[in-house]
Amino acid sequence: MVRTKGYPEALEKKLHDQRYYREDSNPDFTKNVKAISRTIAHMCYQCGTCTGSCPSAPRSTYRIRKFMRRAVLGLENEALTDPDLWLCTTCYSCTDRCPRDIAPTDVIMAMRNLAFKRDIIPVNFLKTVQSIYKTGHGVPNNDVNRAAREKLGLTRDPPTTHMYPEYIPGIQKIIDHYKLKANADRIVKEREG
Amino acid sequence: MAEKKKATTKKSESKKVAPVKQEVKKQAAAPAAAVGQTTKQDARIGVFICHCGTNIAGSMDIPAVQEYAKTVPNVAFVDNYKYMCSMPGQAVISKAIKDNKLTGVVVAACSPRLHEPTFRTATKEAGLNPFRFEMANIREQNSWVHMHDWEGSTDKAKDAIRIAVAKAALLQDLFPKSVPVEKAAMVVGAGVAGMQAALDLDAAGIKTYLVESTPSIGGRMSQLDKTFPTLDCSQCILTPKMVDVGRAKNIELMTYSEVDAVEGYIGNFDVTVRKKARGVLTPAEAEARGIVGGGCNGCGDCEAVCPVVKPNDFEVGMKPRKAIYINHPQVVPLIYTIDFNSCIKCGLCVTACGPEKKAIDLESKDEFVKVKVGTAILATGFDIFPVEKKEEWGYKRYENVITSLEFERLICASGPTGGHLVRPSDGETPKRVAFVLCAGSRDNTGVGKPYCSRFCCMYSLKHAHQIIEKIPGCTPYIFYMDIRSFGKMYEEFYYRIQDEGAKFIRGRVANILEDPKTKNLHVHADDTLLDRPVDMDVDLVVLAAAVQPMADTNRTRKLFGVSCSMDGWLLEAHPKLNPCGTTTAGVFLAGVCQGPKDIPDTVASAEGAASAASIPIHKGEVELEPYFATCIEEKCAGCGMCVNLCPYSALSLVEKEGRQVMQVTEAKCKGCGTCGGFCPGGAIWMNHFATPQIVAQIDAFLLGGEQ
Repeated sequence: MVRTKGYPEALEKKLHDQRYYREDSNPDFTKNVKAISRTIAHMCYQCGTCTGSCPSAPRSTYRIRKFMRRAVLGLENEALTDPDLWLCTTCYSCTDRCPRDIAPTDVIMAMRNLAFKRDIIPVNFLKTVQSIYKTGHGVPNNDVNRAAREKLGLTRDPPTTHMYPEYIPGIQKIIDHYKLKANADRIVKEREG
Repeated sequence: MAEKKKATTKKSESKKVAPVKQEVKKQAAAPAAAVGQTTKQDARIGVFICHCGTNIAGSMDIPAVQEYAKTVPNVAFVDNYKYMCSMPGQAVISKAIKDNKLTGVVVAACSPRLHEPTFRTATKEAGLNPFRFEMANIREQNSWVHMHDWEGSTDKAKDAIRIAVAKAALLQDLFPKSVPVEKAAMVVGAGVAGMQAALDLDAAGIKTYLVESTPSIGGRMSQLDKTFPTLDCSQCILTPKMVDVGRAKNIELMTYSEVDAVEGYIGNFDVTVRKKARGVLTPAEAEARGIVGGGCNGCGDCEAVCPVVKPNDFEVGMKPRKAIYINHPQVVPLIYTIDFNSCIKCGLCVTACGPEKKAIDLESKDEFVKVKVGTAILATGFDIFPVEKKEEWGYKRYENVITSLEFERLICASGPTGGHLVRPSDGETPKRVAFVLCAGSRDNTGVGKPYCSRFCCMYSLKHAHQIIEKIPGCTPYIFYMDIRSFGKMYEEFYYRIQDEGAKFIRGRVANILEDPKTKNLHVHADDTLLDRPVDMDVDLVVLAAAVQPMADTNRTRKLFGVSCSMDGWLLEAHPKLNPCGTTTAGVFLAGVCQGPKDIPDTVASAEGAASAASIPIHKGEVELEPYFATCIEEKCAGCGMCVNLCPYSALSLVEKEGRQVMQVTEAKCKGCGTCGGFCPGGAIWMNHFATPQIVAQIDAFLLGGEQ
């Protein structure tokens, strides 16, 4: 489908055809999202309970309902290339309240999985991977925290890999099994040099 | 090989079929069954295969099935047709019966529930007894479920036809019995559906018992303020009907009563009604006790002195009532009722009532009344879904979140606030009101109801109109998913309400939070059309709660042998073509008990049910399917074990020729087969489902055509 009118570049950008066409829909995308998320992603009736429940939506452009719509229609590229995909905090408020008994959070997780297969992922997520690989924590302990813990009568480090670093190799083994670290390192290098 | 097969067939026939013949011939007690008996040897069966357009023909090889049918023993004629149920299709059957001197007919088509009557008629028209017809279901139980298995469904159709032919070869002439129909009907539930049905039956000259569990007739409609889309006052259009019901000479009103037991069958139901202890005598009851000119006249002197205060259910608990009460001034009948669960029997009411009326009897007990009716209509209505189960909306947690039924009472001039809509928290008049649609409807979580409650959209539009009209400057915000304004003048009503200033926000309410200081509410939703989340600060929230069947519906339906669908609503005989009937002959459904309906649909359904219920009564007799059990007296040992097993009390022992034998009351027998299956001597013959017929079917299946 020709979607350009041959206008000068600036005008073309401004007036580009925003409609979606049948060939934008990939039925396999809907199927894959359903299979990975294990929820009836094609059954959304767009009531908006999810976005209404979403703590991210009021202060961001993230609209979970929009991703549900894309899941229904199979709009794969639009869903996977939208940077908002990464704004979900996975709080599961939408899943709690969805009247169709769909788990929108799991739909988002499925789409993130599919996006990562195409190397679509924000660098900060990859840095979290690197941090977990290194320390066992997405957000490692720091001195401010340690002081606060001490003040509360707690140990300076929690009883996690911080206290038992001998378990870190086990975590690394799991991450390596899925080549997560290798991919993260590769993509971060590509982006940040 | 073929000859050998034939020989074995004959041999086994002489072994197996001969006793059958004997049995049947010996049936002196049931001459009808013996008429026109054919043996398997001279059976000539016609097989007619229906394509049902592509419903059947699209999933199986019809020519192959036809070729196979020709090879089945006793088959004398085979044909197929695009639509066997059509007039030309039926003509094919009739012609074949005459031309080929058929003794039995097998139609391989849809479910007998759909077209058995059609093909029986076609069989009858060709001069054959209609019970010589047998149906092989190759659609619902075959082509529809094996749509993508061409070979499998073809093979299964062959099996079905072989089995049906095996039975058809042994079918007998049967003659339906007619029983007289009691010229009376019962209507259970006296809301607008029950009242309308009772009024129609009354107008048709039929004695009608109208049973209502609460003290007054009127039902849900009497709780409503106005009705959409015409905005008539609900009470104004309902009370004339209530008065008519009270006056109708053919209606016997049984308020504060419940159906306790049902026995019998169409034309002859024996219903036991429990009249709950009311503690107050009607003038007629007083007169029966010799208190001339006494009984309750509704003066209310008793209520004034009663010291017990309880919440009034009619006002959804928002108004007090006494232990002796009427729910509202327009009750029919105008007779007080004592709530014996809260009455302390202080006797003040008895004194206040005085020695002339003597209307109060604190020692009254439940009474059981037996009535005989020909048909019955269930109109048991609906209740509100307990919407507090959807915790995110805070009903019963936040004072200013109310249900739409509470809104109806608050906006109603005869309601607890005299028609002034107020916030429950502080009695202030709200200036911004949010309406939450689909509150528990269209909900697949298992907490709410999966269905659309159908009338919430429209009454919420009406509520919006009412607050705009009554409270200047008040804005209604309607949170909706879809506005289902499907009825006559409904879409126009939607237009009008939008024009009046109601704000429609297309998004289901995600949650509601309360400001603990002001008790104002923050309604959170997604304005899906704007694609932005909303936080709407309002004074009052009205939940358009889903509806569900009344709690007692399940008990009542079981008494009448009526099924219910998965969601608890009573099951109609056919959702499109028989919405008022049930699978129990003589029992009909009216109004919301069958599924959510607005008032026009409820009244239409009630009139349909009344019409259907009056047909058997006007005909005066009904034909019963001749599937009853018969006793083969020579074999009966008179042990009487079957008598106690019969769930319908249809069997008894009688003395004949100096010994005890079992006798069947055919009108009571439903042909369930309990006795026939049990009888140790094989002395009970189940018409149309006789042991040899069923054994032949099983043999035909298991032996794959060999006998």
